[in-house]
Amino acid sequence: MTKLGMAISLDRCIGCQTCANACKMQNSVPMGMQWNRVVTEGCDVMDDAHGTYPDLSRTYLPIACQHCENPACLKVCPTGATYKDDKGRVEIDYDNCIGCRMCMAACPYNARSFNWEDPVRDPDFKYGDKDVPVRTKGMVEKCTLCKERTDRDQEPMCVKCCPTKARVFGDLDDPKSAVSQLIREKRAGVLLEEKGTKPQVHYFD
Amino acid sequence: MQLLTKNKLLTGIFAVLGVAGIAAWAYQLAGGLGVTGMSNANSWGLYIAMFMFFVGLSAGGLIVASSASVFHITEYKKVAMPAIILSTVCICCAGAFVLIDLGGIQRIWHLFASPNASSPLVWDICVITLYLFINVLYLHFMHKGAERAVSVLSRFALPTAVLVHSVTAWIFGLQIAKEGWFSAIMAPIFVASAMDSGLALLLIVLIVLNAAKLFETPKKLIASLAGLLATCIAIDGFLIFCEVITMAYPGAEGAATLAVMVSGPTAPFFWAEVVGGLLVPFLMLVFAKNRQNTALVTVASVLVVAGVLCKRLWLLLTAFVIPNIVGAPGIMSDAWMMGGSYAPTAIEFLIVLGVPSLGALAFMAIGSKLLVPAMAKEHAPARSSAAADLDLEAQVA
Repeated sequence: MTKLGMAISLDRCIGCQTCANACKMQNSVPMGMQWNRVVTEGCDVMDDAHGTYPDLSRTYLPIACQHCENPACLKVCPTGATYKDDKGRVEIDYDNCIGCRMCMAACPYNARSFNWEDPVRDPDFKYGDKDVPVRTKGMVEKCTLCKERTDRDQEPMCVKCCPTKARVFGDLDDPKSAVSQLIREKRAGVLLEEKGTKPQVHYFD
Repeated sequence: MQLLTKNKLLTGIFAVLGVAGIAAWAYQLAGGLGVTGMSNANSWGLYIAMFMFFVGLSAGGLIVASSASVFHITEYKKVAMPAIILSTVCICCAGAFVLIDLGGIQRIWHLFASPNASSPLVWDICVITLYLFINVLYLHFMHKGAERAVSVLSRFALPTAVLVHSVTAWIFGLQIAKEGWFSAIMAPIFVASAMDSGLALLLIVLIVLNAAKLFETPKKLIASLAGLLATCIAIDGFLIFCEVITMAYPGAEGAATLAVMVSGPTAPFFWAEVVGGLLVPFLMLVFAKNRQNTALVTVASVLVVAGVLCKRLWLLLTAFVIPNIVGAPGIMSDAWMMGGSYAPTAIEFLIVLGVPSLGALAFMAIGSKLLVPAMAKEHAPARSSAAADLDLEAQVA
């Protein structure tokens, strides 16, 4: 079996948002929406610092769909629009989505976005990968682990574009893959482990 | 259509509100759910709160009517007809709110073509359909006077009513993602608040029908139902207290959510319910003498219904206030913001007023067909109702 996943070095991440923009371009993500985002931890606004001067720190957390092994979103989807594919990715069959937003309530990571209105793209054309399907009003969407690219044996765009090489992508079921080795050696952890969702995106320092 | 024509002003108001609601829904279908105040950060709003509220309101009727047969409470049988009509109308309103909340209603056929058996939403749709079916069948049997069939059906109606509230609770209570919802007590709380809001609405309707001389309910029965209401309020209050103390005591994540509820954005709704919807009506109804006073029973019932509406709001919205991961992509409102907020728009208010208005019209229409003749029949022959009840009991036994 293949179980695609990722390991992200929080030490290497400099909060440049390149992955966020690469994702938006690749997947034709409309205005006002991001599938992937680099969050400034412990702050109310982006790029703030936490602590009191002079004891300040600023840390970043890149976050998108965690492609959980035990996905809370999948269980609650009434139509089966959300599914786990044979490569271990959590995907959405957009045509099956009735827009009930049950999955958004169920996802502990708030990884999902809804098309509240007709999506607006600026510039006004479908930018991005030609194989990425267009989503319309009333559909939920999220990171697909660059399904179209990974199907062609390419890395997800966020991995490819990261200037500090903070992201490593691969098969978690293959113990010899770079990502599996990193997770083992760096004792990488997952977000909100206590929720039991078993994310396939791991983080290490 | 006696009820509709007799109250022309009321009918007119409901009709205008109903049409406005339909127009607002049409506008929402054209523009998308973006015309509401909902956002990725607060992905469910007034519609889902009203869905919970109306599922609950529907309870009182069916539970009172079916208890009459299941527990042999003969006097409740007298109000079974208005009770079931009310229950039927409310469950239709609840269903309507789910449909209104769907962003892709044109694709809804997938729900029937490929239902996911593990989704609480699918369970709820099945149970609500069954519940509606039982209600309609109940009305049909009662209208035909098939007492035996009513008594058999009520044995299924009562557990189904409890199930409807439990499954609705599980839509929320099974979500580990939301600290404010994930609790085993959610289903009991939903059953309890369904009982008290449903009973209170039934009392209001019975008192109004009494005043309008359209359907007579004995004063003793009103007092007895008010006593049952007081008990349900106490149970509801107890369950809420159990939940609150469990959230507070460890001083951990639950306490942060509790702080949102008692002193944060949803605090007005929380305190309005605890004080106005539980404490005050309970103190009014706990004294037997007060229960004889129709005016006091009416005030207490209105307070309970309003209180449970507030409860639906704090229960739903509190869970959205503190995200697990601040600033996650699914809660952004613009590139620089780390969170979001929710305030309903005029469109939402129009729809929320419109659906119950159509419900009220439906109640008046069905009532004219089923209630008014029942009244006429009761008044015509000299057969005492007590004797009739004894007869029915004999049949059931």
